[in-house]
Amino acid sequence: MKRFLVPAALAVAYVAVPLAFGGNPYVMGLIVAALTIGGIAVAWALLGNLGGMVSFGHAAFFGVGSYTSAVLSMKLGVPPLAGLLLGGLGAAIASIATMPALRLKGPYFALAILAYAHIFQILATEMTGVTGGAGGLLSIPRFPTLLGVDLGSKTGGYVIILTIVVLSAAAYAAIRRSAWGLALKAMHDTEIATRVIGVPSTHLKAAMLALSAFITGVVGAFNAHFINFLEPDYAFSGAWTVLPIAAAIFGGYRTVWGPVIGALTIYLLDQLVFKELMPHGHQFVLGMLLVGMILLSPGGLAPILGRRLEGGQRHAHA
Amino acid sequence: MLSLTLQALFSGVLAGGYYAMVAVGLALVFGTMRIINLAHGELVLLAAYVAYAAESQYGLNPVMAIPFALVIVGASAALVYALLSRIDQDREINSLILTFGLGIILTNAVLMIWAADIHSTTAPWFQESVVVADTLFAMRSEVVFFVGGLVLMAGVHGWLNHSWQGRAVRALSSNRNAAKLMGVNPRRTEILSFLVAALLATFAGIAIYTGKTIFPSLGHVMTVKAFIITVLAGMGSIPGVLIGAVMIGCIESLTVTYVSASLQELAGMILFLVVLFVMPSGLFGGRKAIAR
Amino acid sequence: MLTLDGVQVSFGGVSALKGVSMTVSAGETVGLVGPNGAGKTTLFNVISGIVRPTAGDITFRGHSVLKAPEWKRARLGIGRSFQIARPLHHCTVRENLIVAQRFGAGRVDHERIDEILDLLKLGHKADRDAVSELALTEHKALEVGKALATNPHLLLLDEVLAGLETNGKRAFMEQLALVRDRFNLAMVVIEHDIPTISALCPRVVVLNFGEIIAEGNPGAVFRDPNVVRSYTGEAAA
Repeated sequence: MKRFLVPAALAVAYVAVPLAFGGNPYVMGLIVAALTIGGIAVAWALLGNLGGMVSFGHAAFFGVGSYTSAVLSMKLGVPPLAGLLLGGLGAAIASIATMPALRLKGPYFALAILAYAHIFQILATEMTGVTGGAGGLLSIPRFPTLLGVDLGSKTGGYVIILTIVVLSAAAYAAIRRSAWGLALKAMHDTEIATRVIGVPSTHLKAAMLALSAFITGVVGAFNAHFINFLEPDYAFSGAWTVLPIAAAIFGGYRTVWGPVIGALTIYLLDQLVFKELMPHGHQFVLGMLLVGMILLSPGGLAPILGRRLEGGQRHAHA
Repeated sequence: MLSLTLQALFSGVLAGGYYAMVAVGLALVFGTMRIINLAHGELVLLAAYVAYAAESQYGLNPVMAIPFALVIVGASAALVYALLSRIDQDREINSLILTFGLGIILTNAVLMIWAADIHSTTAPWFQESVVVADTLFAMRSEVVFFVGGLVLMAGVHGWLNHSWQGRAVRALSSNRNAAKLMGVNPRRTEILSFLVAALLATFAGIAIYTGKTIFPSLGHVMTVKAFIITVLAGMGSIPGVLIGAVMIGCIESLTVTYVSASLQELAGMILFLVVLFVMPSGLFGGRKAIAR
Repeated sequence: MLTLDGVQVSFGGVSALKGVSMTVSAGETVGLVGPNGAGKTTLFNVISGIVRPTAGDITFRGHSVLKAPEWKRARLGIGRSFQIARPLHHCTVRENLIVAQRFGAGRVDHERIDEILDLLKLGHKADRDAVSELALTEHKALEVGKALATNPHLLLLDEVLAGLETNGKRAFMEQLALVRDRFNLAMVVIEHDIPTISALCPRVVVLNFGEIIAEGNPGAVFRDPNVVRSYTGEAAA
């Protein structure tokens, strides 16, 4: 059953969704935005689950990624598709600045990263020469037409962000299964026991932070070229932290696909239902979902669904 | 130049007074439960909006709103505690996310009820300026609540050191198991620390409403600021937290005076990171359990 | 192969090790004995890098490892077990060894893992769900197995035989001797039981109050009046 689940889901995602909704830019735009959140949620969950670190500042990496790619494409003419990777790289480099925070415990790490997000936001606002300051960047280059497919369209954007999310989740799954993943899992309980068998635990955590930042940066770069506009308050907005956390927790941050499922559910519910019902403060419901999930099913939605699908097979507490 | 600096420092000290009230509450709860309550600033926010509602709808003086705010904020704090105590697995990560979620709920509840507008008191008495030592200006509210805050914190300090319950709070903070063996009821002591934190948060909220401006995202700002202060000063003592709070207040007001108002938060953040990395045990060496 | 030169350790003013110097040659098995609190485990922690000495030097295979972190020393060939087993949770026995091979030895050699599992009689438990279901002997074997999987030259065994009944102890000791000869290891063994240590180790080092008070073949050392006195609770002369 499970063997066919992923290929089937991929077929639906790559073929059925564009066929069904391709003609409806509004729906397509919503799905793209949901996957954007989903990409960050995967990156956040990777850091939380494998690295054992809760970040309240992923907006920092999202913002750095988006500005890196936007500025490079506008000032140096770097093609947007290459800009995706460079945006990820920029965020990964920015994560090096945050690495001293790795030796901090839970809440201290979480809030140190939040401090970085604020600092990066202020820097982006103040460095007017590069970033355009508070006025923002307008007409950021859009994605090109490749092999007859207009990647700049809503459907084109969908294919790009879907690919980013799928590759990120695949990388996450591969690491989780590898000796790296086993070592990272074991580190939370007995760090010293892993160190005496040769695991450079701090390096591994740093690598997870850099990878998480890279993925978030790529997603940020994608978003910049997709909406063609950036300003610091938007690029570093706390929403890029809150929504992915809600998505990851809701879907199940200890699973690979939970964050993506969570993002689709939460974002679409938020935009289609809650926003209509409550024009102000609709994030209220996100808070309720977070609190409810942590209290009722800390593992999130995915383990519950998974149990149904697999009929109670073993669930690795990854 | 000198007078400008002195004025900035004076304003910073006054701001430090209510920052300290918020930070002491955060530290108290951390002491008894080993949990950072990320919804703590939202308790301050709630108190401020209760005062706003009382004033704008019933014409009540903000000071007269304190009893109502105490009840509402106290009940909210008790609710936060009740939910937190239900967490049994992965306590550190789950409590962080739970209180984060509660903060979002409270902020957005405020946003839904009172919209995103900025408010401050309409009672002129609070906003009249007073002159201290002939040259230093302040709003009456700032002075009143600074002095009131000091008295309140001195009271909490005395309570911690001299009352039986206060000693139970300290015992639980320093050694949980030993405290239990000595007959401290951990649940009662934890909830007590939450209620004292709520009391301080209420006064801080009224202070902000009468002396500054309030807006829904203020709660988050106050949580982060309180956290930064406890990192600077350690969780250990009220006088230490007060000094840390005054430092943050002064750094912020100096930044506003000499650099730019938009960089106010940045100064505190950078100081926070520098202290975390350079002096992992805090400025006064009183912080434990932060760095591995 | 391993040389300790005047190693001192103090925790907050209390000296745990007061200038310990000793050597372990390639292929040698050394017994480390002494009363509780003598500093035996601290000495292991210093050699494996968990505790930094306040003075002294440690060389391993010709290089000072004083500044190397635990994981680097593991890669250089220092393997250790813990007195209270520290398996990697959420992993099977085999996965424990795979992690140790991947990080400690640099690459995963499944033949070696199978051989270790076989020598330590863990084969039948290798792919069970969780290590938490292992019996005491199997936990001890896994401690040794993790260390072996890092392809060590030196194995530090902290009371791996403690708590086993006489037959189990004898059987496990034979396994250890087999392992030592198969992989050509030097070993330092902390053990309280005098017959066991005498059978396994041609040379014994006695630690008391952080100092070496005797050293030599077990027969002679255990008759040394200083050693006897340290065990009967009097301060060493």
